Amino acid sequence: MNTAFLALDQTPPLSVPLRFFLTAPLFGLLASLLLFYDGPQLFISRWSPNTLALTHLVMLGFVTMVMFGALQQLLPILVIAPLPRPTLVSATLHILLTLGTLSLAAGFLISAPWMMRSAIVLLGLAFLGLISVLAYCLIPLKGKNPIVTAMRVAISALAVTAVLGIGLGMLFAYHIVLPFPTVLTDLHLTWGLIGWVGLLIMGIAYQVVPMFQITPHYPTALTPWFIPLIFLCLVFWTPLYILAELNKIPSIIPQILVGFMGLGLSVFAIVTLKLQAQRLRSIPDITLNYWRMGMVCLLLSVVLWLISVLSPVKTLSPMLLVVLFIAGFVLSVIQGMLYKIVPFLVWLHLQNQQLDVLTVIKVVKIPNMKQIIPDKLARRQFWVYVFALGLLIGAVLWPSALSQAAGIVLFCSFLLLTYNLYNAIWLYGTVSRRNAVNKT
Amino acid sequence: MDTITQTFSRDHSRCDKLFARAEESVAKNKWADASTDVTKFITAMERHFSIEEDILFPAFQERTGQRGGPTRMMRMEHQQMRQVFAELQEYLTQQDRDQYLGLSETLLMLMRQHNAKEEQMLYPMTDKMLNDETPSICKQMDGDKQ
Repeated sequence: MNTAFLALDQTPPLSVPLRFFLTAPLFGLLASLLLFYDGPQLFISRWSPNTLALTHLVMLGFVTMVMFGALQQLLPILVIAPLPRPTLVSATLHILLTLGTLSLAAGFLISAPWMMRSAIVLLGLAFLGLISVLAYCLIPLKGKNPIVTAMRVAISALAVTAVLGIGLGMLFAYHIVLPFPTVLTDLHLTWGLIGWVGLLIMGIAYQVVPMFQITPHYPTALTPWFIPLIFLCLVFWTPLYILAELNKIPSIIPQILVGFMGLGLSVFAIVTLKLQAQRLRSIPDITLNYWRMGMVCLLLSVVLWLISVLSPVKTLSPMLLVVLFIAGFVLSVIQGMLYKIVPFLVWLHLQNQQLDVLTVIKVVKIPNMKQIIPDKLARRQFWVYVFALGLLIGAVLWPSALSQAAGIVLFCSFLLLTYNLYNAIWLYGTVSRRNAVNKT
Repeated sequence: MDTITQTFSRDHSRCDKLFARAEESVAKNKWADASTDVTKFITAMERHFSIEEDILFPAFQERTGQRGGPTRMMRMEHQQMRQVFAELQEYLTQQDRDQYLGLSETLLMLMRQHNAKEEQMLYPMTDKMLNDETPSICKQMDGDKQ
């Protein structure tokens, strides 16, 4: 218990999460450029190397990048487990993930096997590193905190996703073809999207939705078993899906499990929307807008999946599902969180600098969260993103007409996000220097 | 019988409600209401802090023999919030809506993060350690609320 005591004061240095949060929008910019450059080509097949480059720039460069930072920030505070050597660990993981993602995207784009090989090594080390560090913190923790459970299952899902991804990457790196590559690809993306990203977002939501908006807590009848149950569905689905693809069992059997996972995600989205409707705060809030949009897109993607399974004719493009899930749900929720976490961390660290020197009269005024990222700028970025999302959905239906426009608008929205986040850090630097001057 | 966790968390929710009401009055520029609501909120918070600092934390420290550790951290965070309260009151007097709302947003994050630490770690630990004292401590928290 003593280590837990000490750990109450475990806010890691600001650079630990921020190096990830500040890199993520740059990958968003790269992804938008690729979308603009390649345009309609990207929407034709999910198997084209350029489409794979785009999805990995988004999923690794943006989504996983932010998740890496958020986990290292949230873990010590929320579940009160200290991180070992936070600065060294985060700097190392950050370099590995950044360079790994860049080489992977380049490997796909210019089909260079050596790039793919370096991507396998760099990303492999990044995931191994993160998983080891988190396992080191999470394994000794006792008790049934739902967010700890969520982190555990999400990390396990990341491990599965990474192993499958590396296995599949062997094709591009060494021309080693694993058996049933298309089946393994489906496993890779399902474990990644539902297990790693979806379940982690759910776990974080348990903590942050009531925190940001003063909503009631997620029902305790739900939280202890909900995420583990979806995870179990994913575990059981895996062998059944392989068997179904080998025509050993009817494909309806694994689809029932996907249905359960879809049901679980829908319940999560509906409960979140309901809690947010019961919030005590009535003032407008960009994070709330982003989360609501994210939950609606999550629901839509489940409905769309259901329609595509039930309808005999394959009219709907699976791309639409991917766009709704990734750009509509995941990216919205993450951007919404960044607008709370980044200004708060900046404020907290500036405030802590002054706590160190309590004896000195407080001379430097610390900007509040809404001065660190003004509402007006966040709102503008939100609406540009909504427009980009609309165009992305449109681009799936009419690729030749809309995909390049979607690329341009998406680029603008990431540019505004970059501006908002970097501005916050610039302000941090300015006030921090003034604090330092006062100390001396 | 209610536990420390239940009783003290319930008081957190009471403070949250008062926080939201104060924020709403300021957002709507209802300065007369705001003045009452902000005072009610800060009084409730101060009451909560002092019961923790004067009764709960000392009982905890006595059992653990720790003067530092979690209670020291919690006291520091109380101090940090008190600074924010003082600044909020200034903006209230100046009727500076934007400054107030910007700072109350910041306070909310600080407060909810602090509450989460208490509700998930400190209170459950205290419940495990204290037995006989629990009813009287809970009674203090449930008692005369202004």
